[in-house]
Amino acid sequence: VSVLGIGHGNKLLTDLYNCHLTRVYTVGGLFGKATDDFSDTGNLVEKTTFDHITREKLERILAVIQGTNQKALLMYSNIDMKTQEAYELAVKGLIRPMGKSPPIITAVRCLQFALPEFQLEIHCLHETQQYLRKMVHEIGLELKSSAVCTQVRRIRDGVFTVDDALPRTQWNLQSIQEAIWNCQLKVETELEKTLG
Amino acid sequence: AMAGVARRLLCRGLGAAAGPPGTRQLREAEEAAPVFQYAGKAAKRKDRVFVWGFSYSGALGVPSFVKPDAGWKKPRRIQPTPYRLETEEKISSAACGYGFTLLASKTRDITKVWGMGLNKDSQLGFQRSRRDQTKGYEYVLEPSPIPLPLEKPQQTRVLQVSCGRAHSLVLTDSEGVFTMGNNSYGQCGRKVVEDEIYSGSHLIHQLKEFDSRVVQVVCGQDHSLFRTKKGTVYACGWGADGQTGLGHYNITSVPTKLHGDIAGVNIIQVSSYGDCCLAVSDEGDVFGWGNSEYLQLASVTETTQVNVPRHLPFKIGKVKEAACGGTGNLVLTEEGNVFVWGYGILGKGPNLIETAVPEMIPPSLFGWSDFSPDTRVARVRCGLSQFAALTNRGELFVWGKNLRGCLGTGRMEDQYFPWRVTVPGEVVDVACGVDHMVSMVRSFT
Repeated sequence: VSVLGIGHGNKLLTDLYNCHLTRVYTVGGLFGKATDDFSDTGNLVEKTTFDHITREKLERILAVIQGTNQKALLMYSNIDMKTQEAYELAVKGLIRPMGKSPPIITAVRCLQFALPEFQLEIHCLHETQQYLRKMVHEIGLELKSSAVCTQVRRIRDGVFTVDDALPRTQWNLQSIQEAIWNCQLKVETELEKTLG
Repeated sequence: AMAGVARRLLCRGLGAAAGPPGTRQLREAEEAAPVFQYAGKAAKRKDRVFVWGFSYSGALGVPSFVKPDAGWKKPRRIQPTPYRLETEEKISSAACGYGFTLLASKTRDITKVWGMGLNKDSQLGFQRSRRDQTKGYEYVLEPSPIPLPLEKPQQTRVLQVSCGRAHSLVLTDSEGVFTMGNNSYGQCGRKVVEDEIYSGSHLIHQLKEFDSRVVQVVCGQDHSLFRTKKGTVYACGWGADGQTGLGHYNITSVPTKLHGDIAGVNIIQVSSYGDCCLAVSDEGDVFGWGNSEYLQLASVTETTQVNVPRHLPFKIGKVKEAACGGTGNLVLTEEGNVFVWGYGILGKGPNLIETAVPEMIPPSLFGWSDFSPDTRVARVRCGLSQFAALTNRGELFVWGKNLRGCLGTGRMEDQYFPWRVTVPGEVVDVACGVDHMVSMVRSFT
């Protein structure tokens, strides 16, 4: 999913950026190798065994990653933790950094697991591709093995999901107009909600 | 993997650039590379102990925090985040008292219990001083064995330990309960001796006279509670707030059976840490007695002291576990919901300071979400003015007064709603004290 703006849409893009909405990726990984750029086309650094890894162990690690990132979420959101407001937002899960922050992962779960391959769904903020690949590498390390990233696919960018996206065959004026119409409402409501 | 349904952003790393070695050569090099094994298939998860909070009492068991072992190291008064404590055996039960800690293992070896921290009342037994063999240590800085006068030391196992203000209880599987420490109010279950000097005492008392085997021991501030297999509760010690539940406000020096609303009821859990007590029955009812100055029992009475167990008529569902703190109480229901009442930082923001009726803490604060709908709280624990909850995912949440960094969050501020403590492992159990906490953790792999 790649979001493009036309004309007035460019201004809306900046506003959307200031909403700091999450993006969702499906990330594919492979156990047993470690490379210098964390992906499977980099130079091999080390090979390790991985037959001790089970889905349970992977999920435990994912739970911890979520936990530590949860804390980062609350800390970078610049809300005074001593207020009732902070409590209300925390209950609703609406706390998120409204300014610059290092990449934060809001949710992670394992979609597929078939040794040596696995696939994760990652919801994140302010991320970079490198960060996602590095995460795969670190998961490998935590499991006392190593892992490389084989695929990164963005399936959601803020309010735009895969369903809204136009495949290459539909890159014509008609479809683009329709798509803009369909998404307009969503974009407006989100901007209202966050920026007021 | 390229079905053209939508646009994607495929990343294939750096690849293409300046003439890399041919793919076949790369593949061969890869195959020839050695494989490292960091963990075998049968790798077992390790059990560890983590401590945090105030260290100068020695309660954390890390001597270098109090007396640095290198010139450049500085003493560490407070350990604000979980710190791993090396133990010789797998610790199955831990308890935090007021400035001291007990660790117990289910081993058949001779040494089954270790203690550290304050020992001015011999709550850690007699710890012979190396400098003067006739005197005992008043502060124990690292986990030191507590010699129990067992008849069959190589058979009997220690099941559980509990610590109060200045006394300790050790529960065994076949030799009853051992008590040590201060006995000025009969909390050790033996007759009060006038002008007894508790410091440097060798006396460890054994209690065996109960209607059936004792399965849980709990220390309040200056009183002791015993729960037996038959579901009865015994108490001894200080009673001025009615915490012994025996119908009077005097001290009791012999464990005596409680009646009141719990007579004939099968109690499956008791809890206490200050001067209030809670008990849970097999049917999910909650009973309370003791101090009610902080609205702990205000749902049934306006009096501030209750000396007989009273049923608390809460309509919150079947209760599974209760945890009683100094001024606030916590219960966990069968459904996995957490309810809090009493006084203090209760966990629902700074606006909720007191309530006589239990209020539920939203499960989203414990990690429950649409994304992980199976996350539930599995255990609840209370310190004097802190609360802790363990989820079925092995995460630890704490809230309350952050006295000397005892919450373990890494910050020094009080925490007004449940906050995760970052622990490198799955938290299996936690013991809360006044200004420190101890947790038993299992490593991930």
